Amino acid sequence: MAGELIGNILILIVLAGLGAAGVISVIIWKKNRVARVTFLRFVIQAVGLAALFFLFSLEPSIPLLYVLIAWFAVMLFLGRFFCGWVCPFAFIMDIESVIRKALKIRYRLLPERLNTALHKGRYLILAVFLLLPIALWLIDPPPNTASAVMMARLLAGPFRPYSIIIDPLIPLVVPWTGQIVLGDINLSYPYISDIVTFIDTTPGQIFAVVFVVVTLIGAFLIRRVWCRFCPAGASIAAINKFKAFKGVPLLYIEKDEEKCTKCGVCKRVCPVQVPEVYEQKGGKIGTSQCMLCARCVEMCPYEDALKIKLANKPVFKSRNWLEPSINDE
Amino acid sequence: MSKNGTVEQRYLPEISRKEMDELKNTVKIASQKIIADNIERMKRADPHRPEAMKYFDDIANLFGRRQQEIQAEKEKGKKVIGYMCLFAPTELILAADAIPVRVNSGWYDTSKLGDRVVPVEVCPVIRSTIGAKMIELSPFLEQSDALISVLTCDGMTKLSEILSDQQTIWGMNVPRIKDSTQSLRFWSDEIKHMKTQIESFTGNKITRKNLNEAITQSHRATKAFRRLQNLRRTNPVIMGRDAMLVNQAYTWDDTKRWTEKTELLCDELEKRAQQKDWVCSPDTPRVMITGTPMFWPDNWKLPTLVEEGNPQGIIVADEQCSGERILNDPIGVDEWSMDDMLNAISERYLMASTCPCFTSKNGNEDRINWLINKAKEWNVQGVVYYVVRGCMLYAMEYSRVKKALDKINVPVYYLDTEYTREDVGQLKTRVEAFMELLNARVDF
Repeated sequence: MAGELIGNILILIVLAGLGAAGVISVIIWKKNRVARVTFLRFVIQAVGLAALFFLFSLEPSIPLLYVLIAWFAVMLFLGRFFCGWVCPFAFIMDIESVIRKALKIRYRLLPERLNTALHKGRYLILAVFLLLPIALWLIDPPPNTASAVMMARLLAGPFRPYSIIIDPLIPLVVPWTGQIVLGDINLSYPYISDIVTFIDTTPGQIFAVVFVVVTLIGAFLIRRVWCRFCPAGASIAAINKFKAFKGVPLLYIEKDEEKCTKCGVCKRVCPVQVPEVYEQKGGKIGTSQCMLCARCVEMCPYEDALKIKLANKPVFKSRNWLEPSINDE
Repeated sequence: MSKNGTVEQRYLPEISRKEMDELKNTVKIASQKIIADNIERMKRADPHRPEAMKYFDDIANLFGRRQQEIQAEKEKGKKVIGYMCLFAPTELILAADAIPVRVNSGWYDTSKLGDRVVPVEVCPVIRSTIGAKMIELSPFLEQSDALISVLTCDGMTKLSEILSDQQTIWGMNVPRIKDSTQSLRFWSDEIKHMKTQIESFTGNKITRKNLNEAITQSHRATKAFRRLQNLRRTNPVIMGRDAMLVNQAYTWDDTKRWTEKTELLCDELEKRAQQKDWVCSPDTPRVMITGTPMFWPDNWKLPTLVEEGNPQGIIVADEQCSGERILNDPIGVDEWSMDDMLNAISERYLMASTCPCFTSKNGNEDRINWLINKAKEWNVQGVVYYVVRGCMLYAMEYSRVKKALDKINVPVYYLDTEYTREDVGQLKTRVEAFMELLNARVDF
């Protein structure tokens, strides 16, 4: 009874919060051109989180595998849009960045070479994680070798392939499945359930705690640190990586060579330190690192120099952000 | 440093006080006449000139109101920090509660005096500044407590050395390749060093809040500037010379007041645009000027010739460090922490610049892109490539600019001249011939 009441109040609070976010986003959209997209992204991340939460708490529940397939189908065309705009883990990191900004602590940059190495290395991490269930199966062959059971083992064991890809979502959208129990509340965090199931209890727990602390502090000091080697991100980006699929992404950044003065703003504001937007001369920016968070487009001080295009139609252009946007249209 | 007589003058000749005063008076009177004459001609060119231009006419008198204002501020204990190239971070100066002022000289007469120190082949901007120093002509150069000299072209490099005979000079070493990480790192260090130098010199600490305010102030100025530039995009509502004067006045005027007055001017111009009150026929050839900076007051002959010629042209855009480059690029601050603000400042000054002293993987491509973009967006029909003799960097980039502009079918005219009034007649013929050509192209 009391629980239900609290639940109802919580729902009201969430709704009120979303409403307030809507009002604030209208205000910010009108007043501040440099923060509008960033704020909109926050709203979408929050709404996305709520939507995912709803999706996963449906009865009967949707199997994660279907979500994964649908997700890949969409990502084929949208690229890493998911990472920039929806991913709940990225949402945590963005909130940490906001706190850091409020405390006026400067961010650290990863050295450029390490950054590129991590971006390339994430494919390796992805491959290792994808092959891990097979390795486990080879080490410890299951008694029942029927193909259905093998399949189940491959897909449902610790570090199962799709968990690598979808795991950042699980603890955030279905927190009741968390492994670390504090009092009555399940605390959950990406990959922790895998770590705890996979490694023996005590070292596993220590490792899990270290993992949580390191990623949280890392994301506090370095913007979007996880995104740089996230295997889930790699799995999406892998599609864009191959030349044969160059025409596939429908959502991309385009740069106008003549309007760009190479002032370097785009390079500095990028939360994952993508150099291509700055370095490429013009045209479609081809990179598997970019998360399409549109921060560079938002901060670019030259009108129309950077654009985000969806199916050849510009959806968002860089503009003269010095003007208050009330005079728009 | 400039305690008279205590420091050995390594470059500047000893001139007796009497001779100096005589020369100074002669040049000053001549210069004041030229300022008045220039403004008079600007008024004549546009019979109902915007009301708001009155302020800029007033501030354009270098020996007038602004000089007294700075003097009054100086007496109150403010420091004046002069700079010679646009790379000097004026926001840092403003944040330290000092007055930034640009000290390049545009006087023709003093360039003859500079010949006593450096050979005549040297760029006249340099010679003129040396001459102005010799006879203590330039009010802002004399008022500066320190000078920031950025070692861009050869002339600027040695100019700072020559001026260091009499003034405190802070050199800033600028990397010549701008699109590399190490260059940026180097330049950021220079900016940070300049910050501490300004802080210790003025005694005011540059806090986050101060710097934030200074950057916001320069954003406002850029906003006003862009508004003015956008008004020049369509049919002409303001003479090019007026707009050029407004842009250049920023380098010695008070930033806040300049922004206000420019906004006022834009309000007025917007009204005119609505009433279709053009300053000249919309068919007038639209000209862009690029090349060596043109400093007020004397070096105003080319814009005058273009806009008073027969047939007439109108200047709608320029690519000069005495014009649009002053304010074109805002400082893109991501997070308002000290660190990011300083990074943003160093990036804005180094990477966004189109100064020909730079090169990069693709040469000074930014400048080409600027010109092409301006030519397309501002509907430019012809480009005058203005070079003073001795300005090597601009002269050497001409071929590339011409090729690039030929591709988009915009004629370029290379106009070389000197700091002298003697060639005005000859220039008039050349400029008018070019305008004739542009008119003929419009007709077809």
